[in-house]
Amino acid sequence: MLAPRPATLWFCISLALCWSDSASHAQQSKSFQTAPIIEKPATDGKVWGALIYGSPAGTGADVAKGDLPKGLQDLPARLGKVFSFQHFELLGQHTQDVFREYESWVVPSKDLFLKVDSKGKADGGGINLHLQFWQDQQVLVKTDAILRERSPLFIGGPKWRDGQLIFVLLLTKPES
Amino acid sequence: MKTPPDENQIVRFLDGEMDAAEKSAFEASLAADPELRAEIESLSQLGATLRKSMPNGREVPHADFFNSQIQVRIAQEEMDRARESNAPAAGAGWLDWLRAPWFAAAATAVVALLAVTLWQGRSLSPSESSLVLSSYAPNPDVQARAFHSDEAQATVLMLDGLAAVPADRKIVGHSVHHSETDQQVATTTLFSDDGHVLLVLAKDGRNQPRLLEHTP
Repeated sequence: MLAPRPATLWFCISLALCWSDSASHAQQSKSFQTAPIIEKPATDGKVWGALIYGSPAGTGADVAKGDLPKGLQDLPARLGKVFSFQHFELLGQHTQDVFREYESWVVPSKDLFLKVDSKGKADGGGINLHLQFWQDQQVLVKTDAILRERSPLFIGGPKWRDGQLIFVLLLTKPES
Repeated sequence: MKTPPDENQIVRFLDGEMDAAEKSAFEASLAADPELRAEIESLSQLGATLRKSMPNGREVPHADFFNSQIQVRIAQEEMDRARESNAPAAGAGWLDWLRAPWFAAAATAVVALLAVTLWQGRSLSPSESSLVLSSYAPNPDVQARAFHSDEAQATVLMLDGLAAVPADRKIVGHSVHHSETDQQVATTTLFSDDGHVLLVLAKDGRNQPRLLEHTP
């Protein structure tokens, strides 16, 4: 008789794990059969929006990597290539589903926030969006944009104190 | 009972490294074990496919440099051999793990990981970048200009001419975990990580957003 080879052993372990996983799913769906079905609104993706304060001399803590989404860990360095500041402070952040049928709001601060309307998937990946950048009761800019993963949109907002308020928008999860 | 062939033996058989006695013993196992036969057959086919796909030879760029490097390497190996012959035998064969069956799988995984890391770190092509298609600032004093920064790997929408926010105004940021929208009353409630209500966004009569801070 052949002794079990490592590859055969791994295959058996994977098979056993798959089987136990699907068995537990089957059990779960059985136990939820009577629960009411809550329809989740359709989405076209997920975005991360942040309000950043760029300044020549930091007064608060600089952006910490732990606060940033995957793929944007080097945000302060990237902001530094566009805005001539040495310090970038994360004032607020918001991860938001982009709803397909109705508007979504990205509100890292009530002072500056974004209205997002999806116009569907873009050719070549990403999503077509209509954005409105609001400051209190005033819309500062309306824009049509294609937002793609790994490629953030920086909006250079109003000056504040000795620096500037910057809005960052990143597509973190396109709908497949 | 005969010991079944291990994977080292399989590799040595396929590479033609067995002596006559070993080979005949292995072939006897092969005749008696259909599973082993199938494995050998599949590995032989895989080898043939790989050999077919690999180019047999190509011109070496910078051949002179290449030859000189080979000579340096030969000299180094001769020195290493001379050193090893003086060293105790216990150190011999320390590279045998390179031939271990798990090595190929581990090396493949490392190469795949490196490839993914390099792919993620590369610059984006224009077709992979975000784009500003059009922009309009209702305030005539504000000019919106869009551009792509290769250095920052970001698309920038710069709003020039905006009035500065008064220095004494406190900008309050939030960490919004999720939101819930009630379409019937047209409100969006924003929640913190721990499930507390941070803000409620509603529309006024002119369809403008109004943000109400939640006071517990």
